[in-house]
Amino acid sequence: MFEMRGIEKRFNAVIALDGASLSLSPGEVLALLGSNGSGKSTMIKVLAGLVAPNQGEIILDGQPVSINSGYESRKLGIATAFQDLSLIPTMSVMDNIMLGREPVNSVGIVNRKGAIQEVRELLERFEIQCEPDAYVQTLTPSTQTMLEVAKAVALKPRLLLLDEVTAALHYDEIEVLFRIMRELKDEGVAMIYVTHRMDEIFKICDTANIMRGGKTMTQSPINELDLDEVVFHMTGMRPEAAKKSETEDSFSEEGRELILDVSHLEMLPKVRDISMKAFKGEIIGIGGLQGQGQSEFIRLVLGAEKIEDGSIEFCGEKVSFASPAEAVKKGLGFISGERNRDAIFHLRSVEENLTTGLVAKGNLASFLSPAKLASFSKKAVERYNIVLESIKNPASTLSGGNQQKLVVARWIAMDPILLLLDDPTKGVDIVARQEIHKILRECADEGMTIIISSSESDELLTIADRIYVFFDGQVSDMLEGANKTSERLVASMMGLSKTMATEEA
Amino acid sequence: MTLAIKDAFQRFRRTPAFTGFSLFVLALILNAAIQGPAKFLSPRSFNTLLATNLPFLIVVMGQSILLLVGTLDISIGIQLALVNVVVVMTIQEWGVSFWTGCLFGITASLLISVLLWVSVSIFRLPALLASFSMTYIIKGINVLIMPVPQGKIERVFYRTYDRLLFGVVPFSLLIFIFVLLIWYYFKRTRFGTNIYAVGADRRNAFAAGISPKWVTLQAFLIKGLFVGIAGICLTLLTASGNPIQAEDYGIKSLSACIIGGLGFGGWGSMACGLFGGSFLIIIQNTVYYFFTMLYKLIPGFSVTTYWHNFVSDVIIFLGLLMTIVTAKGQREALRQGIAQQLKQKKEDFGGKNGSNA
Repeated sequence: MFEMRGIEKRFNAVIALDGASLSLSPGEVLALLGSNGSGKSTMIKVLAGLVAPNQGEIILDGQPVSINSGYESRKLGIATAFQDLSLIPTMSVMDNIMLGREPVNSVGIVNRKGAIQEVRELLERFEIQCEPDAYVQTLTPSTQTMLEVAKAVALKPRLLLLDEVTAALHYDEIEVLFRIMRELKDEGVAMIYVTHRMDEIFKICDTANIMRGGKTMTQSPINELDLDEVVFHMTGMRPEAAKKSETEDSFSEEGRELILDVSHLEMLPKVRDISMKAFKGEIIGIGGLQGQGQSEFIRLVLGAEKIEDGSIEFCGEKVSFASPAEAVKKGLGFISGERNRDAIFHLRSVEENLTTGLVAKGNLASFLSPAKLASFSKKAVERYNIVLESIKNPASTLSGGNQQKLVVARWIAMDPILLLLDDPTKGVDIVARQEIHKILRECADEGMTIIISSSESDELLTIADRIYVFFDGQVSDMLEGANKTSERLVASMMGLSKTMATEEA
Repeated sequence: MTLAIKDAFQRFRRTPAFTGFSLFVLALILNAAIQGPAKFLSPRSFNTLLATNLPFLIVVMGQSILLLVGTLDISIGIQLALVNVVVVMTIQEWGVSFWTGCLFGITASLLISVLLWVSVSIFRLPALLASFSMTYIIKGINVLIMPVPQGKIERVFYRTYDRLLFGVVPFSLLIFIFVLLIWYYFKRTRFGTNIYAVGADRRNAFAAGISPKWVTLQAFLIKGLFVGIAGICLTLLTASGNPIQAEDYGIKSLSACIIGGLGFGGWGSMACGLFGGSFLIIIQNTVYYFFTMLYKLIPGFSVTTYWHNFVSDVIIFLGLLMTIVTAKGQREALRQGIAQQLKQKKEDFGGKNGSNA
């Protein structure tokens, strides 16, 4: 009934979809799987009319169709529940559900009374406890997600797209969702279900379509697949053939200086209960799917967010930094993956960008000689192999990888005790990435403690001594030594191995 | 019964219009106290106040619609002068009737609105800059049509505008109600909700099958109609033409909306704009009477009218500050509410898990 063939989508140089395809029939639930950045969400957006593909065809009932807007998508009988929600927070629950299809009379006036009955029934069916006239922004994230699904189902679609909706849902809400999905299945609604939770797909889905790097690797019935098979298609590696990590030395706490000791940290809704330890000269990796609380955790340590519960000990002292500036004074450093937003001054010169840290560290009125700054920048450029024309050129003339090296250099020059990196190699090419890894390893050998969060498993496996895997605002697993395998990392990222209890005991 | 009233008040307290409403009531009390309640509440005094300020009030309504849909128009003030000039000159030069002149005026206002929509919504220029430069373009057009202030309109029309019907109902009130009814109609149509969706989040509105461009055009057209009506009121008020009047209405209407509690896009309501606008009007009125009182009380006391503006603008600035305080309070309440819901959920969830194990 429904098919997508050879879909291609390029965003300038980045290829999001590269010949992806899928097909499904009425009453079928298709799991769309793949790791971060494999193009699942883009596929959903193509169908929802938010992204126009460069190439490929979409076929509905044997007829090729084009979807250029949300309106056209709806007209074809497609409804979407988005991962990042498409609700309007400043509007009421009812207005959100009826948005774009309000019942009107002959002079165009909306019949609110008729609508409210429909909305109440819908809320009841989804077991959502809220008033139809409550503002959406006053609801919890999980209720909002249920509402997002309810809104899509209310359109009575032929094809329902669910993009990672269970990521924000609770156990009981997922049960409700599955009940409704089964009801819809009986009514003959086709569904595409995107998720990272592997246990769910075996529960609810009929077929699985696995993507990697914008390509469709396979589409086959779910009962012909097992978890190993799924992980193989997602990562391209057989779990048993997964490469061993390079840093094999076993880890012992004895005789090492404890730098950071975090216990039961909480900041709702993203960080629920996180404990971790970091020792001197160690590189700690933080892994996990996107948005499992990694960024929030790092910002908590840095004092950019307020701690709601739990404690942080830094160098044996209980701390709670009021601001990142205070944290930096005490010897913390922070490198963000969001270079553009958080770190680079685009219009200022490379030299100025390199020396900002130094300048900030000294007294406000202390004199900095131009010669000293210039020689410092020159050394940094050589040491970190930053490719540039002149240190006087604006930072925006550098490539992404070099910009990131520049930020790394800036912080290392400050000689922090603990360096926090939030997805530092996002959008950085492989060569620059390796160079950054080398720099970090050198610093760790000299005694710096480094905590690095990354969404890429390979990066963590290469660089980190130990990896804490975050899932749903909690540490789902800690990988070290021989445990540090790609297979176990992927599994714990999906929240499958709950070895946390044994770890604690 | 009292419980119902209490409940309704609590609900009203949480609406975005509450700040504007409180400020408005405060100003009202202040004005009545200074001018004397009997005088302030007299139909004649109310007539003068409304007739003089109706153009501004309608302009604020137009500006509110634009803010709701996530854009704005600084040139909205000078557009009044354009309508005024077109009405007066078409009557004077082409010899058309007053009503035809009004139609020309409204058409001119609609055309300008469409032009602004094209630059803001199609060419994606920043609304602030686009409308700011539009101020000078419109001023140029105005002076081309009418180089110096001139013209007049028939006595019967401007006399009617000032009239008190049956000695109690100002005619300008009827115009105001007419404009309110127009808005009430649009608010009840799909446009009434779509405007919020587009203002708050264009992408999500688009995903819901709404055309943000079309909704924005509708907003600009309604605003154009309102400005046309306001321009006609201004013409009736002054009974002549002036190509460079009312320019400050642009920035003043914007501050009225913000004081009233409108956000930039998708937050607030028409009531916000109206309370904010009325607050501004009443404060200016109050300050005028305050100084009159001072002149009477202190013999020999005399200041320029700049002092009037100084005092009223300080009060308006304080009003703006108050919106920050209340907005912060609302945000904090919201955050605590969500955190509490979450904790509740977590406990429920934990309890269930425990019983399973």
